Amino acid sequence: MNELWASPFFGIALSILAFWLGVKLQAKLKSALLNPLLTAILLIVGILSVFDIPYESYNAGGTVINMFLAPATACLAVSIYSKIQILKENWLPIAVGCTAGSITSMGSVYLLCRLFRLDEAMTASLIPKSITTPIAVEVSASHGGIVPVTVIAVIFTGILGSIFAPLLIKLFRVTDPVAAGLSIGACSHAVGTSKAIQLGETEGAMSGLAIGICGIITVIVSMILTY
Amino acid sequence: MKIIKQFGIIFTICWLGTVVEHLLPFAFPASVIAMLLLLVCLLTGILKVEHIREKSDFLLANMAFFFIPAGVNVINYLDILKTSWLPLLVICLVTTVITFAAAAYSIRLTMRLLQRKGGHKHE
Repeated sequence: MNELWASPFFGIALSILAFWLGVKLQAKLKSALLNPLLTAILLIVGILSVFDIPYESYNAGGTVINMFLAPATACLAVSIYSKIQILKENWLPIAVGCTAGSITSMGSVYLLCRLFRLDEAMTASLIPKSITTPIAVEVSASHGGIVPVTVIAVIFTGILGSIFAPLLIKLFRVTDPVAAGLSIGACSHAVGTSKAIQLGETEGAMSGLAIGICGIITVIVSMILTY
Repeated sequence: MKIIKQFGIIFTICWLGTVVEHLLPFAFPASVIAMLLLLVCLLTGILKVEHIREKSDFLLANMAFFFIPAGVNVINYLDILKTSWLPLLVICLVTTVITFAAAAYSIRLTMRLLQRKGGHKHE
């Protein structure tokens, strides 16, 4: 029986089915908590546990899907390029906001990890949690982090950001749409951006731009800190 | 053939990313190098968005899907999550608020300084 699960088609088909269910569920219940990626992960972990299917069997298909991560990351360039006009017009606030956001995120995570006495691997897994998953995964892996923990933390952060974005805008009295969009993107990447798009076109574009730029800044800062 | 060609372009850039990664004297993620290479190609006009539109739309629109296996791997780390789920949640919540505030205030300050500078010019 085990060799049937080990076919790569099983892992790929299960992933697609779980993701499709996740997307449908969110469309139906319209709740930010029901992030399709989170639903899919929980479903698959549940199915593998219940039917006692080894992770390695699932991962025969998983590695095929994984192969598309680098191309997907590269394509973030297309989304930065499509917003090049706004980037040119607001380059200084964008540069300052993304730099301040990225450094604050990494610094505050580091301090809190020390406070909670989490070990080095856990700290390395959480430091890139405010940036987009493809880049966060790379930063985590290259600093000895546990990649799946990073993925979970990144999704949690995104969900929190998209739920609290309207509240945070009021709390910190952010009236400028450029500042609102950038701040959402800086703290909660693509999941937060989906909320920013609902708030307005400028907010959405700015938030989307912050994803790529904060990602690059975080890579550079973490690289400098390790040397 | 169109889609195959677009796959070819993106995969070539990703491969060049790993080549550059090996050549660099410091560690820098290959996929981020590929992203910067693609951005340079678009900015210099070597590539047009049309050359890769369908493929990049497909990857960007379904980005979340490609992270499922990386997330499912958490099945091997459930012990860690069991012991530290609370700090993990607290850290995610607190730092998200702090990061938002840092970005928002620094942008507001920058915009005010720019306005003041702009104002002086007009005087």
